[in-house]
Amino acid sequence: MNTIWHNFNFRLALLLAGSLLLFTSKVQAREHLLGALDNEVLLNCENLYWSGAKAEANNCYLTIIGTINPPEIQAEAMWALGDLYSADELLEQAAQSSPENAMILVRTGELYKRTYQYQDAYNFFSQALELEPNNAWAHIGAAEVLSLGNTGQNGEAINAHLEAVQSYFASAPGARLRAMVMSINSRMEQDLFEQAHELLDEAWELVADEDLPRMQLNALEAALAILERRVDEVQPYIDAALAEAPVYGDAYAIPARFATNIRRYAESGELYQQAVVIEPEHWTAHLALGQNYLRLNLIDAGIRHVEIAYEGDGFNPSALNMMRLLDTFSEKFIDLTYPNPPQGDGIPELVLRLDRDEADVLKVYAQELAEASMATFEERYNFPAKEPVIVEIFPNHEDFVVRSIGMPGVGILGVTFGYLFAMDSPTGHPDETYHWGTTLWHEMAHVYTLEASEHGVPRWYSEGISVYEEWNTGPIPGIKIPAYVLQFMAEGAFLPVAKLDDGFMRPTYDEQVIVSYMQAGLIFQFISEEYGHDKIVDMLYQFVDGTDEVTAIETALEISESDFDRHFKQYIDIQFGPLLGNLGIWQQDLRATMQAYEAENWVETIAAAERAIFTYPEYVEPDSPYIAKALAHAQLEQDDLKFETLETFWRLGGYSARALKELADEYIARAQPAEAIAVFRDIHYVDPFDEDTHGKLGDIYFDQGQPEAALQEYLVGLALNPLDQAAANYRVAAAYQALDEPTQAMDYLMTALDIAPQYRPAQQLLLNLSRSETDIQN
Amino acid sequence: MKIKSFFSTISMCATAFLCATALGVQTAHAALYVTIVQGLGGEPRFDENFHEQTQTIAEASASLTEADNIFLFSGEDAARDNLLSHFTALAELMNDDDRAVIYLVGHGSYDGRDYKFNIPGLDITTEDLLNIMDSLPGQNHFLLNTSSTSGALLEPLANEDRILVTATRSGNEQNATYFGEYFVAALSSEDADLNKNNNISIEEAFSFAQRQVEEFFESQGQLATEHAELSGEGAAQFTLARINPLTVSTENPRLAELQEQSLDIDREIESLQLRRGELSNQVYIEQLQELILQSARINEEIDQLNSE
Repeated sequence: MNTIWHNFNFRLALLLAGSLLLFTSKVQAREHLLGALDNEVLLNCENLYWSGAKAEANNCYLTIIGTINPPEIQAEAMWALGDLYSADELLEQAAQSSPENAMILVRTGELYKRTYQYQDAYNFFSQALELEPNNAWAHIGAAEVLSLGNTGQNGEAINAHLEAVQSYFASAPGARLRAMVMSINSRMEQDLFEQAHELLDEAWELVADEDLPRMQLNALEAALAILERRVDEVQPYIDAALAEAPVYGDAYAIPARFATNIRRYAESGELYQQAVVIEPEHWTAHLALGQNYLRLNLIDAGIRHVEIAYEGDGFNPSALNMMRLLDTFSEKFIDLTYPNPPQGDGIPELVLRLDRDEADVLKVYAQELAEASMATFEERYNFPAKEPVIVEIFPNHEDFVVRSIGMPGVGILGVTFGYLFAMDSPTGHPDETYHWGTTLWHEMAHVYTLEASEHGVPRWYSEGISVYEEWNTGPIPGIKIPAYVLQFMAEGAFLPVAKLDDGFMRPTYDEQVIVSYMQAGLIFQFISEEYGHDKIVDMLYQFVDGTDEVTAIETALEISESDFDRHFKQYIDIQFGPLLGNLGIWQQDLRATMQAYEAENWVETIAAAERAIFTYPEYVEPDSPYIAKALAHAQLEQDDLKFETLETFWRLGGYSARALKELADEYIARAQPAEAIAVFRDIHYVDPFDEDTHGKLGDIYFDQGQPEAALQEYLVGLALNPLDQAAANYRVAAAYQALDEPTQAMDYLMTALDIAPQYRPAQQLLLNLSRSETDIQN
Repeated sequence: MKIKSFFSTISMCATAFLCATALGVQTAHAALYVTIVQGLGGEPRFDENFHEQTQTIAEASASLTEADNIFLFSGEDAARDNLLSHFTALAELMNDDDRAVIYLVGHGSYDGRDYKFNIPGLDITTEDLLNIMDSLPGQNHFLLNTSSTSGALLEPLANEDRILVTATRSGNEQNATYFGEYFVAALSSEDADLNKNNNISIEEAFSFAQRQVEEFFESQGQLATEHAELSGEGAAQFTLARINPLTVSTENPRLAELQEQSLDIDREIESLQLRRGELSNQVYIEQLQELILQSARINEEIDQLNSE
């Protein structure tokens, strides 16, 4: 048998954990055995634990270790006492003595599962199945680790293992129960509540017939009650579970997990809090509670519980990731509150939580956008924020993802938890395709839809409104649909409205989440145009009472679900039919544009781009034909045509920073400062870290007699640590002087002159300031 | 080949003090010798590029030293024997107060042990470069190597008495570099003149080029394949080129007097900045402000006289 601890870090962590436990020997919660083992001495200890007699259970396990028992039983005792390293050694020893004993391999697999090494665990279950192909414990263990290590590719294998458990006549009842619990969980996660009820009924029959523990089913009933908004029924199920097993923290933790799934974080936090009171060694509950506190902006409490989780279970990769994130969080992030200074009761309306290295750049534009979006959504959804809105912007994408969902490696841009949302900074996306201003706008819309509906809004509804608001009120208005989504639209890939959540939660192809975003956005575009924006708001408030989306549509729009789907399809046909009908030609022209551009055939680039633009003039995504056309005009020295192309691109909502910088320079050259200002401001929402942009915009403001706005840009430019520090400080000084703030002006001026004593414009400003002072004194 | 003339008159070095100040040298008789070596390009585009760079260096150097002190080697003239002979002669020509600037523009190679600068015939080796630098009298000489893998020279050539700039931080960065182009561009760029004194120092050219390289790779969405290094003391005080040369008036005595006063104040400011650590911030700023005000008033009067 291979040794479990092939990973050095795990081995080291285990050695430390093992050494510690030899001294402390404290009983830890494990999953219920449900009849997997039949050693009476061991079962006696297990029963003591589940009955709440933890001290007696502790002594009981110590007795097993201290007396002569088979190594696999001693391993169980070690495991129960938290010494996983010794447990592994003993199981390895047992397997060597009894190489034909499948249950030793099964229990080793379970130990690996406990330490989050799912692939290794699966290998042990597979070895057990080689010895006993019908071993139900091995099948259910294999199904569980495949699900836990889910890559989205294991569905068939999981079902095969579950089917093996259920179909084999001699499967152990406990294994059957685990298989049923897994199926119930799966149905609940898919919002298939009726099926979940049916499976629960079957499971209740099983536990009654076989006299199995009921606590897990009670916890699932409580969770289902939460999902179905049967609020009064939650606690009785939890109480029933606790009556059977007073130390069963999952009585609270299982419903808490489902409350998190439907974004009811406050409720979830309360449940997790109870879970760790009942079972202080429930490390995953501590971690989830910590994450929940962080989502609710209870930072200190969040940190405390994440630390407890990590100290209790150093194997948990999520705990390790969260600990790393918290280091970043406490060391690098600062809070900026608005209004500043505080007004009224002193409670801020907005908190920007930014990395201190980029706060001086982002704070200006993030505040501007956040406040504008809050005012917009308050009015459009009749909902004033009742708590401060907290905006966290992460320069490191992986930190953001860990903060949001606990594990790195996921391609999301923003996540809203309620009044707090987290998002990627543009520094996390140096490719210029990330419009962070739109992401902020999108997430802020979620704040209002979540809170106005008291977290009752379906996922698609909230996402759809956010996309619809991006298009209608966001920093770059205009309906923007990626080219590949158009292809799916042409193929009729949109889902019926009642199934649209599946496109977000259970996608069946790679692009389906984005396709669903676009469909949801278009649904609100349709409702707004056909029925009016107020109907969207009316429906939103129906979710407060737990109304489902179909009922909400039927009530507010007075139309059946099927008629709604039919009318929406007609709307899409009218709006996009001509384009979708010519999609192949448009794609061909788009490709021809790029090919001609790469071949440096500028005339053909322009011709192909014009054909593509004729078919779909609104297309301004990063591969827009406008950009290639403008570049081709530039090559042919057709400056006016280049300018016109870039201007059209910008006015349609194009946001390529490089193209916009070109356009802004053109506007400056053509003495159109108002347009140049507007373009520069748009550039900030995609590329705010370009010092040149801030300098130019500041200069325009300065020349236009707007020194305050100029100062803001100059200060941002200075915060970007420009190479030419003398000029940057001088500009700030000049703006302060224009604002009649001589002390500040002199500070920055002397910094400039200390760097460059012979800097003539700065010398001249010093003379002016000196003379002004003399005049005042005279 | 020796460069004969780019600018027959070197206006600024007529005022010996500023040249001396710019070089960080306290004698009026110190000379600056510039050797420029154009290595093998291997491809026409590199040959052309290296040629342009060496020409620009020669022009920029001419703003600071006499044309006879600028030596440019390219093509077959850049053969190893020829170069070694040149440096032997140069070492004999220079005295302890003189300074040497050596520009190596081209490709390099590094086999894990030895760095070589690629020229026709036998390459220049690390040992050759070490011998050359050691043979030069005096101290604070400057060597720029723009080639790939040039960072391999940093350790063997490191010496507190010399300033080195390499386009890469080690011998492992083997892609053709961009740093040299930007460094050379800095020699005639006002944007690189960070202290606005019309001189481009080693430090200014280095900072300018380093930032440009960073921005280049960032704009391409690529990880940087080169990281330039600067080692040695005095890079901020070592001037490589002068932009917008100041012409000292010989016709208007008042103007000449003011220009001399301006130079005196510049010297006082430099002295004050060197003593900064000895003063409180308030005293330092007050004294600096007073000196700059004097300078500003003088400059204002100079401008007025010039405009008349």
